[in-house]
Parts: sequence; structure tokens; C-alpha cells
Amino acid sequence: MSALPAHDMGPAANAFRKEVRDWLARHWTPERRAAHLRKPFKERGWDKEFSKLMGRDGWIGVGWPKEFGGQGRSPTEQIAFITEMANASAPIQAHSTGESIVAQALFSHGTRQQQDEWLSAIHRGERTFALGYSEPEAGSDLAALRTRAVRDGDDWVVNGQKLWSTGGDKADYIWLAVRTDPDAKKHAGISVLMVDLASPGVTIRPSLALYGKTFSAQFYDNVRVPANNMVGAVNNGWKVITDALAAERVMIGGTRMAGLERALDHLTEYLKTAVAGGKALKNDPVIRDRIGALAADIEVARQFQMRNSRLIEQGKVPVHEAAMGKVFASELQERLGQAALDILGTGGLLSEDAGGAPIGGEMEQLLRHAIMGMIGGGTSEIQRNVIAQRGLDLPR
Amino acid sequence: MNVSSPPKADSLSDADRGLLRDSVRDFLSKRWPTEHAVEQSSSADAIAALWRELAGQGLASLGADAAEAGLREIVLVFEELGRASCPAPLLGAVAANLALAGQHSNTVHAMLEDLHQGNAMMAVALGAFDGDPAAGRADIRGDTLSGKAAFVEGAQTATHFLVFTSTPAGAALVAGGAPGLKMQVTPGLAVPPFSELTFVNTPAAPLDIPSETLADIALVARLACAGRALGSAERAFELAVDHAKIRKQFGQLIGQFQAVQHKLVNCLISLDGARLTLEAAAEARDNDNPDWRVFALSALAFAGPALRTVSIETHRALGAIGYAEEHEAPRHFRRVHADLARFGGAPRARAELADFVLGPAA
Repeated sequence: MSALPAHDMGPAANAFRKEVRDWLARHWTPERRAAHLRKPFKERGWDKEFSKLMGRDGWIGVGWPKEFGGQGRSPTEQIAFITEMANASAPIQAHSTGESIVAQALFSHGTRQQQDEWLSAIHRGERTFALGYSEPEAGSDLAALRTRAVRDGDDWVVNGQKLWSTGGDKADYIWLAVRTDPDAKKHAGISVLMVDLASPGVTIRPSLALYGKTFSAQFYDNVRVPANNMVGAVNNGWKVITDALAAERVMIGGTRMAGLERALDHLTEYLKTAVAGGKALKNDPVIRDRIGALAADIEVARQFQMRNSRLIEQGKVPVHEAAMGKVFASELQERLGQAALDILGTGGLLSEDAGGAPIGGEMEQLLRHAIMGMIGGGTSEIQRNVIAQRGLDLPR
Repeated sequence: MNVSSPPKADSLSDADRGLLRDSVRDFLSKRWPTEHAVEQSSSADAIAALWRELAGQGLASLGADAAEAGLREIVLVFEELGRASCPAPLLGAVAANLALAGQHSNTVHAMLEDLHQGNAMMAVALGAFDGDPAAGRADIRGDTLSGKAAFVEGAQTATHFLVFTSTPAGAALVAGGAPGLKMQVTPGLAVPPFSELTFVNTPAAPLDIPSETLADIALVARLACAGRALGSAERAFELAVDHAKIRKQFGQLIGQFQAVQHKLVNCLISLDGARLTLEAAAEARDNDNPDWRVFALSALAFAGPALRTVSIETHRALGAIGYAEEHEAPRHFRRVHADLARFGGAPRARAELADFVLGPAA
């Protein structure tokens, strides 16, 4: 039961949703879910075997053009798909970076040979990726990256360090932004390599992030990468990276939105029967006021997401509109988590490991996770700069 | 409507609505120009003359025929009124058009004809359906009305009043100047000011209208006023953005300061969020989606605090330049706050939304 009425996504998306649900009912079975939930929290969400199963049945790349083996689904249908996957808590992280970011770049910038080999491996769920963008001195200012790649025969030789790569300790490959021309202006001397993380000279150091899963630092010490693994022309990497962002926004926005709706659903379902100090929480006017405001905000976030989909369907690339959706939804997650703590009191601090934690300990996890949404993929502050310059045409 | 000679609402596209918007904006810029808007707003003659012209454009019949214009068109026209700071008595007209659509008496037909020709101006009092506990209530007994109605807009120029009644639930039509009707102007943030009406055995034509219909009309009125606040807030915001692109302090444009940029970006997010949710709610009603009420409450709950904050932040970006009454910004500050605090404002919308997601409080 959903707290807010669902938006009618149209007959095509509705039919597609049912197809996805039917598949999940057959393959994401209660036994499989239970086994997944027995894993430590940091291992959840990343399940290469499940990715292969999805790949086998054509569920990776549903939004890819048909010429590349995808289903050619519209953004609205993709959102329906992501929502169903998120509602079922199906583990899709193993293939999602390859499916959305790498594939998107290969469509526009890959060679025929790269498309044949890499897209089909991603499509089958057999080749997984992490992102290698940030560095110690290059976070929001990504173009300041310094990891070097120097051509040597048929290889590029990579030296440097990357940080905060989600899934970096689990993925097969990394989508690595490197500097190939140190003399060019910042954005001009960058290229992109697909690097086998099992290559000699790669050292991976995972660390636990606040939300309970790992991200990794990697050190590259004379790592040899075949020249065929460069995507796009040498020094054209900035365009390769930015072109792939639009698709990423639909996928990440869809996952976040589904998570927010689910969080509100779980919170309101809990409140319908919860009692504290002999009083039903749902009768508390302060709680009702807070829940009313959050429900309205969820609807606003949905509308931002639908606008992005409409723009993509019209052949436009949402830039400041996508940034607005991200800022609003990620900051809403933080508000929702804070409100839940106020409403649940100390019990809201309990994690899923604590027996009897209200709402299964979801809310404290939601709050820890909210920080990532406001930082990853460009901080809220950077998004606001983008909106100021691209949406309002304010001077730099 | 013939403002832009649009096709029937069934086939109205976003492009058609764009034409309607351009046409209303163009009309108001000529007939209610920025430099005279405040002065004209205190002139009953100016408002009456404008109303006849708006009626000539077909706008007085908004709401009369859903096949011709739906809630999306109503909200759009209210946005333009807010943008132009134009107090045309459209709220009463829309309420009357919606309320009287199913009535077949000669009195009602004559009334609607006068309204649509611009000869009559209607003010509406929602009574028990207002949402503000201080808005008063009125009861009908036979052919007379007794009670009180506060916060009534457009009363000073109205030729007629549509009053929602409590016992029995329904409505009554009252002619301006009817015996036992008193009006007191109550100045405040709303310009032109609200009025308080008292009815003592005032002759009235009773109308049998189901409570559900009255509640829906009240919700439409809330959305229309939120639309008017949106148009007003957006206009003031545009002035602030333009100002940030030309005003220099400390040797640079103030629009280059990140503190100013982020302030204005937050305003844009609020404005777009309010617009998208309002339009979605209106579209849902036009499509007979029964969930339109939930979407409407979401829009109202969000727009209330969001647009009022936009109004405040707009002033902060404009600085003392926008604080002078001769600047356009103060009239928008008044309009935004007046419209968003009406009908129970955002707290009522949040409470009603909580009723939906949590079930009613015991």
C-alpha cells in the first residue's frame, strides 16, 4: 500500500511493470531474498549471480537502443522498471554502473569492436564496473584530476590514485578518468580507460562509508592497459564523461525516488498502529503536520522526476532541471530521516540488528544514506552552481 | 473563450495553453500596466471597466463549461492576474460558474448571463467551507440569509454575492445593496482589502448544491489563489534575477556571489516545484482522476511555505531598492502572503494530507 496515490504512467509502462513484477515473482523468490538478507549489510545489493540471471533474461539494458541489444524502453518505462526493482529490494548494483554510464558512453564514443565485445558482456551481467573519477585533489573539481596515463607501445601506462569508488573492491573493471596531456588546459587533456582491476600494479583499499557499505581507494603503479580499452579519442575524455551523465541521472534519480516513497510508506504504515505513552502516535497533531509536509515534498520530488523524463522523451537533455531534481530529492531524504528520528525518538536510533527496532531500523540507515545523495555525483552546492549558471543565466 | 480562440479543452495542448497565457499576458500588460496597477486597484470604476473587457474576451465564463476550459486554464489565468497585480473579480465568477452550472432557474440563468457579459461582478464567501475558522458562517431560512462572512475579496466592487451556507448546506445568491446586508472594509496585507459582510434576514435566492460540490469548489478556489500567488512570486523573482545581473557591489555583479546565486536557485526550485504540482493537480481534475484532491493538497501544502519564502528571498536579493512602495516588489509580497494564508493556508493542507496518508485522527 502506497502512502500517496500512484501516478498513472500510461498503458505501456503499466503493462511493462506487470511483466517485471511477474519475472521478479519467479526469480527473486522469498528464499533468495532471505538468503540475501542473511549477508552482512555491506555485501547487500551487489550480487553478480543475480546480475547474470537478469542478463540471461534480457533485463539489463532495458533502456538501451535495440541495435545494441537493449529493449529500447522509454525513460518512463525505465523508471517503472527501476521502481519495481527498488520496491522488491532486488540487488542490481553489480551491473548498474556498466549498464548506465559505461554503456551510454560506448553507444556514442565506442568503436564497433568495443561495442561488440563490451556491451554484450555488460548485457549478460558478466562484466561489472566501478567509477574511477575522484582523487585526493579532485572532488567537485573533477577536471583537476592528475592520475597519469602515458602511451607505451600498444598500452597505456597508468600511475596515480583514485578515491571513493563505490563497488571498487567488488567490480571487475573500473571506468577510469586519466590525464593524457598534462600541458593542455584542465578539461582538454583527459581520457577514459576501462581498466581490469585484477591488473598487476593495482592496489585496492576498501573503507567503510557512513551508510554501511564500502567504497575504495585505488593506487595505480605502472599499470599497463591495452590501448584498445580507451573509449573515445585521446584527450576527449571530458566529453565522454559528461555525455554519459544524462542517462545516469534517470537511473539514479529513479532509484532514489523509489527509496523515498518506500520510506514514507513504511513510516506511515508504522504510525497507523504505533502507540507511545498510551497514546496513538497518529493522533499527535505535531506528527500529523510533519507527515503532511513530507508527503507534499514527496509529490514535488516525483514531479521533478517526471519533468526530467518528459524532457528526455522530447529529445532534450535536462541539465539544470536534473540538478534541481537531485538537490530536492537528496535533501528531502535528509529531512525525512530527521523527521523520523523526531517522531520515533530514541527508538529511531536503533539499527536493523537491534531486536524490535521500529520500522526494522530503516530510518537511521536512511539518514546515514542521505549524506551520500547530497555529495555523490556532484554535491548539492555544485548542483546549485549549475542551476545558477545554466538555469538562471547568472554570471560566473 | 475567445482570448486566443483555443480549441475545446478536450484537445487543448500545452502549446494551446501557451497561446492562452501569451494572450492574457499581452492583454493585461496593455489594460493593467505595471505603472498604474496599484493606483487602478483602488478604483472601483477601473475594475468594473476591466471586468467588462475581460468578459468580452470570454474569461468571465471560466469554469462554466469544463469542455471549454478546465482547471489548468483557470489556474493559468490566475497566475497571470497575480503577475499583473490585477484584482479582477474572477474568483467569485469561477465559483459561481462551477456552483450554478447545474441550476436551472430563471434567476440563475439571468445572473450568469449578466456575469458572462461583464455586467455583473460576483464575490464569493465560502462560509463553513472556507477553512479559516474566523471566516464566519451563514444560514438560510426560507428566502432570507443571516450570518457573517469575513475575508471576502472583491466585495467592494461586487454587484452580487454567492454565499455558501451551513444549514442546510448549500448556497445563496444575494444582490449587492440588499436590505439587511452590511459591508465593512478590513484593510490588511491583501490589496484591495478584504471585507466583512453581515446578513440580517437579508433577501437571498437559495440554491440546492450538494456538500461535495461545495467542497470541491472551495478546493478549486484554493488552487486558483495558489496559482495567483505563484504568478506574483514568479514575477518578483524575475525582477530579482534581472537585478542580480546588473547590480554591482564590491566591484562585481551581485549575481556572481555564490550566496546570492544559491538563494535565487532555492527560489527557482520552490517556484518550479509549486508550478509542477499545481499543474499536475489541475490536470488530474481535468482528467476526472479522483486522486486530484490529494495532488491538490500536496500542491497547497508545498506552495504555502515555499512561495512565501520566495517572496522574502526576493526582497533580500533586491535589497533596499525593492523596499520602496514605488517598486513592483512590495505589491507581490502582499499578494503572495494574502493568497497563501487564506482558506486555512498550508497548515490545513498538511492536516488534510495527513488525513489521507495516516487516516483521520481519532
